[in-house]
Amino acid sequence: MKLFEYQAKRVFTEAGITVPRSTLVETSGPARAAVTAAVADAVTAYNDAAVIKAQVLMGGRGKRGLVRKATAADAAETTEAILDADVPVPSLLVEELVAAERELYLAITIDAPGSKALVLASAEGGIDIEELAATRPEAIVRFPVDLRRGLLGYEARSIAYQMGLEGRDAKGVASVLISLWRVFRERDAELVEINPLFVTADGVVAGDGKVSIDDNSLFRQPGYAPTRDHFESDAEFEAAREGIPYLQFDGDISLMCAGAGLTTTVFDLVHYEGGTVANYLEFGGPNYRRAKRAMELCLRNESAVILIVTFGTIARADVMAEGVVEAIRELKPDRPIVTCIRGTNEEGAVETLKAAGIEPLFDTEEAVRRAVAIAAERGGAAGLSGGAS
Amino acid sequence: MSVFVDTDTRIVVQGATGKEGSFWTNHMIEMGASVVAGVTPGKEGQRVHGVPVYHTVARALERHRADAAMLFVPPRFTKEAVFEALDGGIKTIVTIADGIPLHDQVEIRAAARGKGARVVGGNTSGVISPGRSMMGIFPYWIERVYKPGRIGVMTRSGSLTNEVTSMVVRAGFGVSSLIGVGGDPVPGTRFAEMLPDYEADPGTDAVVVIGELGGTMEEECAQAITSGVYTKPLVAFIGGRTAPKGKRMGHAGAIVTGGTGSVEEKVRALEAAGASVADRPSQVGTLLAAALEEHRRG
Repeated sequence: MKLFEYQAKRVFTEAGITVPRSTLVETSGPARAAVTAAVADAVTAYNDAAVIKAQVLMGGRGKRGLVRKATAADAAETTEAILDADVPVPSLLVEELVAAERELYLAITIDAPGSKALVLASAEGGIDIEELAATRPEAIVRFPVDLRRGLLGYEARSIAYQMGLEGRDAKGVASVLISLWRVFRERDAELVEINPLFVTADGVVAGDGKVSIDDNSLFRQPGYAPTRDHFESDAEFEAAREGIPYLQFDGDISLMCAGAGLTTTVFDLVHYEGGTVANYLEFGGPNYRRAKRAMELCLRNESAVILIVTFGTIARADVMAEGVVEAIRELKPDRPIVTCIRGTNEEGAVETLKAAGIEPLFDTEEAVRRAVAIAAERGGAAGLSGGAS
Repeated sequence: MSVFVDTDTRIVVQGATGKEGSFWTNHMIEMGASVVAGVTPGKEGQRVHGVPVYHTVARALERHRADAAMLFVPPRFTKEAVFEALDGGIKTIVTIADGIPLHDQVEIRAAARGKGARVVGGNTSGVISPGRSMMGIFPYWIERVYKPGRIGVMTRSGSLTNEVTSMVVRAGFGVSSLIGVGGDPVPGTRFAEMLPDYEADPGTDAVVVIGELGGTMEEECAQAITSGVYTKPLVAFIGGRTAPKGKRMGHAGAIVTGGTGSVEEKVRALEAAGASVADRPSQVGTLLAAALEEHRRG
């Protein structure tokens, strides 16, 4: 679960990392005029020199015009420009401008093969780190850290020196690194990142903040639960709350499959056959008895057909087939359903489907071709009512 | 011969008395596994399908010799259970838990490497050598998937394993040893770390790798081929070619981030190393037959 910048900066502050003074302005509740007024007040409070930052989770906010400098005179206009962007902006962070002498980059992530954490640091901050890694990898200091041992003070200082820093700056960056390590461990993070980290006359200041908490660890991270704002659609949010893996797309075929790997492969096969996907939904594992809920989520899309492909182990085929038949009886779907349900007790599944008048298929690729043909026949999403909402 | 687990591997089952643990312990025994003891705190003195249960791994090991530990333990307790097995000197561990915290995954792999042990999982069905032994939760009774034979299989996904392996069997082959390394970002054991075992196993003629987007495990297989660590034929199927960047496709590990993990990169690396890569599961059988034929001719 990614934290919004303002949440990440609260975590940083608690850990002793300096962040710019800021004001958070909610945008979804209050009227537009109240929002622009609140932003203008904040800009004025920061000596008429501030930056207004959309609190969204996507990268590249600057390029998308979602982060803009403002003075009191143009604060209202700038706010309008950000709010009129093509993405929902649930809140704005108004921050004082920081007079930076230089910008650095710091991050901690996981090195899976090495089974360690990995500190990434660069004297060239404020850039696209992926691009830097691709073009000039030597500009990035990489330092593996054993999780049990932790990042030690001398190691943090050594990283700062390797970045080419000295004196006061090296000391400040080392101290931020130790704090960032604490955030990484205490928040069960898959990634913590400060880009840019400003070096100023008064010390180092985190200009931006990314904290991504591992989803498997949320049970021991009280206070952090995904909200509607973490998702791009209502369906994705609802499915996530119910523990059903779901991704929204805008094509014609609703996938209602079991198992992550198989669903991903069916996703590929649909595209190979010239089809498009309306949604990725996986109702295997602990969800294999929840065919009705899965179908409900699929039916919310303007898809042309629902494609059910399973090859389950613990997710018994007979149970899934019964669930599908019951879901069809109760939900009376307005579109065709293609089934390819195999695995444990598949003989029972075949009987159940046949008794309900559904043709059971056994070959994944045949099922995909069938669904793509139906979608084409029904004219695709264009012939329906305008794609997913 | 088989890789990882065989008929004479003596197994301790941690979490043996739970519903899932008990059900699958029974199936492991039926399939041929030597389960010598179960462990559940507070349940010492009970028996599960004839297997004596102890409070702790250490107490089980006072009475029984064991080589391997099979864990039916919830994800949040998995790290401790693995450490308990490692502290008992066990070098071969399988955990099927789905949802192990990321930092725990890292600590588990680091601890196992520190002790020269091997942990397979989590988020997997485990390891099976059809007709011989298994540590995990496989429907070995489905003959069109779990047919004994001479092809090794390594996989990151349970559901896709059934799909792809059924194609291997349909092409007239069978499975020597199947290892599910799991769908987590930090699996305890990585694909390439198993390749030397398959290379050494006289019962394996070739290996099928069932990969997916995310991480670098498939590229590491390519490296093992290039460096000569592995010389038998290798055929891969990799899911997620058309997955959009930055979307997590089901498994936590199945995501393209920071410029790594794309399927194109994996395919390029494997093909450059001389492996065959199937576009669709249905091509795996044919590619396998061709690769074996070519290998035979030298």
